[in-house]
Amino acid sequence: MAVTDRHLVTAIVVTHDGETWLPAVVAALASQTRPADQIIAVDTASNDSSTKLIKAARIPLIAADRDCGFGDAVALAVAKMPKHIEGNSEWIWLIHDDCAPTPTALEKLLEAIEDRPQVAMAGPKLLGWHDRTHILEAGISIAGNGARWTGLETDEYDQGQHDGVHDVLSVSTAGALIRRDIFEELGGFDSNLSLFRDDIDFGWRARVAGHGVIATTAAVAHHAQASASERRSVDVNGAFLHRPLLLDRRNAAYVLLANSSWWMIPWLSIQLLASAMARAIGYLLAKLPGYAADELLAVATLIIKPAEIVKARKLRKTQRLVSARVISSYIPPRWSQIRLSAARIAEVIRARVIPVPESSSPSVLNSLEEEDLLVPTQRFQISKLLKNPAIFGYLLLGIITLIQSRNRFGVLNGGALSASPSGARDLWGLYFESWHQVGMGSSHASPAWIAVVALASTLFLGKAPLLITVFFLAAPLLIMWSAHTFLRKLSKNQFITIPASFLYALSPVALASVNSGRLATLVALIIAPQIPMILSNWKQVETNNWRRIYALTILLAVLTSFTLITTLVSLGVIGFAIFNDYNEKLEKPLFLARLYKRLTLLIFPFILVAPYSFEALARPARFLAEPGLNLAGGSTALVLSGNPGGAGSLPWWALSPILLLLVIALFSSSNARSFAQIGISFLCAAVLFSSILITVHGNSAGTRTWVGTLLVGATLASVAAGVLILDRLRTVLIASNIHYRHILAGLLLIITALYSFSCVGWSVTAGADSPVQSNMKRVMPAFLTAEADTKTLVLREVGAESAKSIQYYISRGEDISLGEPDVAPGQVREIEIAAQELIDGSGISSSQVFSSYGIKYVFVKNPFSRNVIRTIDGLGGFARTSATSAGVVWRVTGVTGRIIFTAKDGTRSLLEAGEVGARTTVNGPGTITLTETFDRSWQILQNGYRLDRAKDEQSLPQFQVKEAGEISLLHDGTIRRGWLSLQLIAWTLVIILAAPAGRRKREISEKELA
Amino acid sequence: MKFKKPLLFLAALVASFLVASALTTVSNPNNYSESYPAVVCPPTLNGLTSQISISSRKTQYQRLENRSSKTLPFKALRFPVSKDSLVISAQGTTPLIWQSRTGSWAGGTMCSGPSAAAWFVGGTANVTSRGRLILINSGLSDAIVDIQSYTENAKQPIKSVNLKSKNYIQLSLDSLAPGDKALAVQVIPRSGRVNAFMIDEQGAGLKALGGDFVNSYPNASKELVIPAIPNQLPKKGEKASGAHTLRILTPGDVNTTFTLEVLSADGKFIPVGMSSRSIDAGVVSEFSFEPKISASAFAVRITSPEPIVASVSSSVTISRHKDFVWSTATPPLTPMSVAVTGLSPLIAFAGESIAVKVQAKLVNGKTVSASVKGSDIATWRVPANARSITIVSSSKGVFAGALIASTNGYGFIPIVNGSALTRVEVPNSNIRVLNP
Repeated sequence: MAVTDRHLVTAIVVTHDGETWLPAVVAALASQTRPADQIIAVDTASNDSSTKLIKAARIPLIAADRDCGFGDAVALAVAKMPKHIEGNSEWIWLIHDDCAPTPTALEKLLEAIEDRPQVAMAGPKLLGWHDRTHILEAGISIAGNGARWTGLETDEYDQGQHDGVHDVLSVSTAGALIRRDIFEELGGFDSNLSLFRDDIDFGWRARVAGHGVIATTAAVAHHAQASASERRSVDVNGAFLHRPLLLDRRNAAYVLLANSSWWMIPWLSIQLLASAMARAIGYLLAKLPGYAADELLAVATLIIKPAEIVKARKLRKTQRLVSARVISSYIPPRWSQIRLSAARIAEVIRARVIPVPESSSPSVLNSLEEEDLLVPTQRFQISKLLKNPAIFGYLLLGIITLIQSRNRFGVLNGGALSASPSGARDLWGLYFESWHQVGMGSSHASPAWIAVVALASTLFLGKAPLLITVFFLAAPLLIMWSAHTFLRKLSKNQFITIPASFLYALSPVALASVNSGRLATLVALIIAPQIPMILSNWKQVETNNWRRIYALTILLAVLTSFTLITTLVSLGVIGFAIFNDYNEKLEKPLFLARLYKRLTLLIFPFILVAPYSFEALARPARFLAEPGLNLAGGSTALVLSGNPGGAGSLPWWALSPILLLLVIALFSSSNARSFAQIGISFLCAAVLFSSILITVHGNSAGTRTWVGTLLVGATLASVAAGVLILDRLRTVLIASNIHYRHILAGLLLIITALYSFSCVGWSVTAGADSPVQSNMKRVMPAFLTAEADTKTLVLREVGAESAKSIQYYISRGEDISLGEPDVAPGQVREIEIAAQELIDGSGISSSQVFSSYGIKYVFVKNPFSRNVIRTIDGLGGFARTSATSAGVVWRVTGVTGRIIFTAKDGTRSLLEAGEVGARTTVNGPGTITLTETFDRSWQILQNGYRLDRAKDEQSLPQFQVKEAGEISLLHDGTIRRGWLSLQLIAWTLVIILAAPAGRRKREISEKELA
Repeated sequence: MKFKKPLLFLAALVASFLVASALTTVSNPNNYSESYPAVVCPPTLNGLTSQISISSRKTQYQRLENRSSKTLPFKALRFPVSKDSLVISAQGTTPLIWQSRTGSWAGGTMCSGPSAAAWFVGGTANVTSRGRLILINSGLSDAIVDIQSYTENAKQPIKSVNLKSKNYIQLSLDSLAPGDKALAVQVIPRSGRVNAFMIDEQGAGLKALGGDFVNSYPNASKELVIPAIPNQLPKKGEKASGAHTLRILTPGDVNTTFTLEVLSADGKFIPVGMSSRSIDAGVVSEFSFEPKISASAFAVRITSPEPIVASVSSSVTISRHKDFVWSTATPPLTPMSVAVTGLSPLIAFAGESIAVKVQAKLVNGKTVSASVKGSDIATWRVPANARSITIVSSSKGVFAGALIASTNGYGFIPIVNGSALTRVEVPNSNIRVLNP
């Protein structure tokens, strides 16, 4: 029932290829409880049957050009209307061809404006066209970055939570009721805004002209948002290449710049540009380059045409009645934007991690039994939780890990792990630097794992030691989780998969890796189960889409960054697969399809960790090395049992069932056989490699290769085979009489149980005193660290009590930190000989050699052989400077330091030296010797010219100075920077290729749209 | 065949294991370099004459003061030294030095490598003393040496001495504990390549009372064997030359007892009063004993519940003048070579069961072998024209010392390896040393 006849309402329907929605729209107009007094339709040269439908509904139609914008179309209709009579309450009701108001919509809108004379614009609550419970808008605004702001969550369900009459900045033109006189007074919609954001602009202008804008949720309309969701092409003027996003972003920026206070414009411009760039990156990652271009073009088109903005601002200035600041309360505060964004991200993650299961049980409300409603449907019991094998398994492993790690609550080092630097910044520094102050200095490329650890440290506020401590504490749980995600695909029985995952997390290789600080093997233990998860069908690899291939490439690249043995394994596996494909005589397209995908998995990870991987081609031992110190692995026999050996590994008597399981599975008739074959192959490789001695990472002695990474493959295959066997065997054993299978299963279970008890027992007792511990004492005494960048030859007896050996290295005043062993250079032969002669007492010239290489001190760390100390005492050129409980220090006599200047008369003097580069002054012609390893990137500049560089007889870089003056020493890192840039591009490319592709709006199904 | 593939995999595994086992070299990360450190002979002090016995003319030496690494060959098997201390690259054959003061005394000692610590039980600091403690730094760096002296009265304060590189100093024994008679000195090098020697020379006014080298012993122990003590038998109608004096010290803080057992060709016995005799800690004690034995040399074994150091001073008469000999304890005998050119020592072996194979290399290049067997004590006279003797093998628990007589005097030289093969580990370069 009409509330009043005081108002005259003219409905203006603008159509543009809207035949899909128009019948419903016309019907909705016709069924209004308070019908519009007049309906006018404007068609912008629709290509479909829109005009026919309008005419059939006997609605007067105005024809307009196809590139006529929405505002112009409305203006045409208003112009056709009878002239406005002063004092009349005349309204125009804007109806889109995809917007169907509910029957009471107009009545409720008029009710809302009845006692609000200041209102110039009122809008209904807009609900979805398809999902009519989905609230689209109840008033709109614009964020500082140009985003259309509704204040609603994505796909928000309308439960009346926003009901009421709200003062808003603006309402959508779909269903908006606008006072005709004010519409005309303000000049209608801005003709520069042919589509999108014209509503916000009008609302804004109405506001600053002193009028009110309200959204009344009692009035409802359903909106298909056909243009925004790209359900129809946008042909309006200015919509370049029919790109609605470009138009929308451009118009958003226009609205902000045209309406905001002048002093806000610089800040808004920055915000618009930054957010456009951020969104462009996001679209690029989602593989939507068109949208990315739209974002940037939108801002660019506006910036290159500032005249439009200037003109628009002038016009608005004439219409402005109140301060522009009046709208500030309608602009969403930044925190609410952040909150909403965070909530959206959290919801996406939640939906991925905890998908809402499709309910299989009927609702209690459906029950016919009334008493059932009185019975609680669920009751929480802790005992019930503990009966869940998953919870019990994780809890047990957590407790064991905590007990086992009792000496590891703090900054960790020891074993292969060196102490982490205090911040991620140092790690980044190590990664980016072209020169490393380790030993005699090196220009080796830093391995990519340093960047991975540095990146991960940012999650811990840049505290790398905290990351390492937490990682070593959480590693067993992560390993178990990763294994379980894989194993539960093999068996649904949690009573098999959980214990199997538990044993994988407590496997000999896992325990040894945690105890001896093997980062790469731990990462391999976590990542390995995910590889078969991503790549489901290796034989028919072409069935995996490219996105999966690139996702696996990333995973393999991360693993390769930690250990290049991954490349060797990939080479073996992929080479074998290509050979098989070739033997199968596949059709060429299929063969090539497989070949490309297989080669991608081999080559890309190797490229992504370049240049470290390329350098490894010249230093093949790196292919077998792990991050950190080069510690020896175990004997071949131990490796055969699945135990990598070495410091911190399980003792031989804790024999794991890995080999037995693999052998049994090898003769199985189930899929377990395939796993056994894989496992045996890994075991063969591990056994063979374990016999190789490698010299790498600053260790000149040949050290038995640690084959932990290869044993990860064998262990995982063994566990997977065991799960398959047990899953199948259980039913067979129940159904059959006792025969050899029962005995075999019993034997296997007994051995597994024995292993479990022995390994848990060992790890919580003796195993807790592992090489990796927290808060260990420093090697270098504090007084030697006081002199910046001073080289000290450190002698120390290291190793187990029974097999101690004398070892030495050059320290730069500090203990080594994480990553430095990986870039440590080998020893200079002359220093090797001098150190040897220092020990055996024949080194009359040792001090001279040390001095020429810039070694200023010799430090013997206690405990040490007294005889050797006496021998050094007896040698010339070493002046004892201190003897403390930490050890004995001698100063190498003679002038030595990092940069030595030898004048023409042979006088040697020290020049001021920075950490890597230096800026200092020389007093005359002579020779500058830099006591660092020779590298072509060392340069000294004087008066803008490079000094001649040569190798001296010690192979140190030497520069000829021809005159007195200031000099600048630098290590040119251009090549390193070039590599890093290429690496960044390669990673970005692969991440984009692996990332899930975004969909254009037109590709989103109707059902998914509201 | 149903199990062909599994068996192939198993075979591959076994083959891998066998190949790996075969490839695995016995990797001993520790390499060693073996060398004989250069030995140092004491300098020739004023008024003395010295001669060094060397086994080969090609043996290289350099004077202590020489700072270069250049060495010279001896070109002789017995080399007279006028003044300097010599550093000799003896290559496993320990040279002997024989020093004498004409008509007064003679004595000898081994030229030896640097030592960690040395005990000298002998010498006196009273008015008769003309003895010297010689400290030699053969290293290229300065050295610091602590000297701890003990006397019959008390433990003396430690005296620290700085020694310049390639240099030696001589300290008068009477400066260590002025006025005290019985000295025992421990020399502890704190840094540097240090050797120490002690000469005990005594005189009363213009009358020389004799002298001898006091040989060193590395550390105090609960059982000591002094293998060669001269027992000069009186000629017909003459009186015995005198009693032997045991000088003994327990350097610890606890008083102790000791038992002295004489090992001689006449049997093994404990002299009267030498069983469970108590001594005070930190104080040098002296006891005289005069065993009635017919042999010209005997040995003693001293046992104690606490670590002790000891030596025996024996009076001898030679060429109608009196001399004394300091016989000191020696470590157990090990295979070694000693250059003896120009000397013809009597070597006494002491032990429960003696079975020693010795070889003498003569000046003419020939080799003479001998097998010395016995119990308690056995002696062997080195041929007069021998240039070196080699202990080829020895039974366990055998100790040896040499007694040498010359016209100027009588001396005791412990048979110890002055130039033992030193096995030094070749260090590896490993950045691991910089990780705690």
